[in-house]
Amino acid sequence: MSTTLSGRIGVALALMAIVFLPMLIGGQWMRIFTSTACFTLAAAAAAFMYARLNMVSLAQVALMGVGGWVMLRLNHGTALPFEINLLLTGVLTAAISVLLALPALRMRGLYLALITLMIAGGLEVIFSTYRFPNGGTGFWGVMPSAAAPFRRPVLAESDGAYLRYVIAVVLIGFLLIDLHRRTRPGRAWAMIRRSEAAALASGVNVTAFKAWAFALSGLLAGLAGGLLAGALGLLDPATFRASESVLLFALSVVGGAQYWFGAVIAAALYRVLPALFNNAGIDPNLTLVIFGAALLHAITTAPDGIAGQIMGVFRGLTAWLRPKGRR
Amino acid sequence: MKTTLKAMFLAGTVLAIPGVVLADTVVCEPGNDGPATGAPIRVGGIFGNAAPGDFSSATRAASAYFACVNASGGIHGRPVEYGVENDQWNPELAAQAAAKLVEDQGVVALVGNASFVEMSVNASYYARNGVMVMASGCAVSECFESSNIVSTNQGPLASSVGAAMYAVEDLGATNIACIGLAIPSVGNWSCGAVESYMEAQGLRASSVLMNPGAPDVNSSLLEAIASGADSILVNLPAGLGIAFLGAAEQQALRDVYTWTSSTPLYDVSVPGALGSYWDGALYVNAELTPLDGEGEHARHWRAVMDDYGRTDDPRDTFSQAGYLSARFFTQLLSTMDPAEIDDRAAVTAAIQGIVGYESDLICGPYYVGVADRHMPNRAGTMVRVSDGGFEVVRECYEYEGPYFEPLIEAERALGLH
Repeated sequence: MSTTLSGRIGVALALMAIVFLPMLIGGQWMRIFTSTACFTLAAAAAAFMYARLNMVSLAQVALMGVGGWVMLRLNHGTALPFEINLLLTGVLTAAISVLLALPALRMRGLYLALITLMIAGGLEVIFSTYRFPNGGTGFWGVMPSAAAPFRRPVLAESDGAYLRYVIAVVLIGFLLIDLHRRTRPGRAWAMIRRSEAAALASGVNVTAFKAWAFALSGLLAGLAGGLLAGALGLLDPATFRASESVLLFALSVVGGAQYWFGAVIAAALYRVLPALFNNAGIDPNLTLVIFGAALLHAITTAPDGIAGQIMGVFRGLTAWLRPKGRR
Repeated sequence: MKTTLKAMFLAGTVLAIPGVVLADTVVCEPGNDGPATGAPIRVGGIFGNAAPGDFSSATRAASAYFACVNASGGIHGRPVEYGVENDQWNPELAAQAAAKLVEDQGVVALVGNASFVEMSVNASYYARNGVMVMASGCAVSECFESSNIVSTNQGPLASSVGAAMYAVEDLGATNIACIGLAIPSVGNWSCGAVESYMEAQGLRASSVLMNPGAPDVNSSLLEAIASGADSILVNLPAGLGIAFLGAAEQQALRDVYTWTSSTPLYDVSVPGALGSYWDGALYVNAELTPLDGEGEHARHWRAVMDDYGRTDDPRDTFSQAGYLSARFFTQLLSTMDPAEIDDRAAVTAAIQGIVGYESDLICGPYYVGVADRHMPNRAGTMVRVSDGGFEVVRECYEYEGPYFEPLIEAERALGLH
């Protein structure tokens, strides 16, 4: 299977980050980058749906909340190790994602986006009403007291080791998306994106492959939510508001949905930029103004986002550096 | 002529300098001569300020107190460097703020923390890192049921039980409806304690909990009426509490029930917002002593805020609590060996050893101790809305109820009860 240069660079950067990043940063940035890595996975899931199928999902952060809820419930309700809980979290969130998406599969464009937004709104109400499990009894697992301890992976109990762990899972998530892109689902999605009627006529099971995309997206969002739960030990409904899902999708467009590093840019804008503002004593809410301007810029002049612009510069440079006879 | 003008200017400047110095007449103990010098003592503080509320009042007061300490000679001659972070009610930011202060800046302790969020997120982190938090604005159970956090304020549980006690003992309540937010570690926790207290008295109580995301005061009021209560205890943030009482006013329910509230409604702006309808009919629990108290520390708090705070800093209960945490912390460090005050473990052990610190801003002694829960301030004052302000209707009284029994045992062990 052939690999692209940007893909090889991505894997190399991820491996370098796993080895070196925790050595170079302090406690605050360890947590900021852990959070950023979690949202990178969620942004990658939203971006692949948009880039491969032209489907707008405005429920990505809400699905992260589902993943976080399942992870906390499993952690407090069972004695299973972190890895098993994380895997179960991903699978269950994927199943819930498909279940929620089934009524929406006949929709396209704006209508699909609106339905996913309504799902995010519904989940927001559930999260704020029932909260996140903290070690209590019963189905909801909530007690009016201090949260029970959260079990991190045995190999990644410290913040630095956990950051490495999260980056490794994010890398696996990206490889999973790429694997899909290169195999049968990727080809089916490409046909569906061009024309559902043509895909149907070619024997592609449109409903199944759309559901498959929602399942993959839910899996990745669930893993992201589970990892975020592990980072903090508990979760708050404010993190998973419907507006956050809209913002993350908008930033995925700004970052560039077509390229893997667009999701990294989106997550960095979402979590690193406000932290930089905060450290500089500037109100981090001002980043929303920047995000709005960046979205306008992306829609009007850069449909492939910042990643597309970087790739444009990169292509221009390689063409300029290539010997004239080979151009 | 020029020489004369120059001489007058110099004379004026010389005369003005003592005036500038004398303007800051407030001295904060230990009060050595001249401003503090040398390496700073690093101390942190975390507050929450974003929708739905600003809890920065406590860290502002602590900051003003430390500025006063620094101007008065510092602690062992060294200034306090007070680093303050805003968690913006965001759990991730709360965790990042704690890591920044504890790991990156190496603070010896945190003072004046006030937030809904940060204590829930960071309680176990503080315990793991062996750092103590002398908080001032605790509002969630995790804050009181943690080994490394101790607060000068009471929080919704103690304040609500205090209000319920007053309703029973002075207003004759037999069945209380406690109106709170459906946040397990806030509304469920505090109204649950009111139910336990009433049950222990052989009386009845029920919790009416609003969805914090979409609070509906009218339906909550109807639910309270349907509960069969004869007394209603408002245990809500000030804005929501005022809206709830507004709905009750529309239904002309003032004289049908007796009305009490936990501390959030003890704010100088509340009587004006409520209007004259509630004059003499609403009783509010105050976690600390009255804002216009005439005790030594009460007057000193107002003077410190006037001289070292900003004019727009609130002068409210959290401000009193922030001042008090900073004062107790300074009192402790000034008694420690100067060689140990940069050692976090030594400072933590010293804070855990605090027993019997007193102030006229709180009704009982302040203590910490090595324990899984801390709630040293569990005696308060009851005030009544009256003539656009508040009047004290019951002086300092200690709260009772099953929740406080382990705390009373701990106090007995320390010789405080």
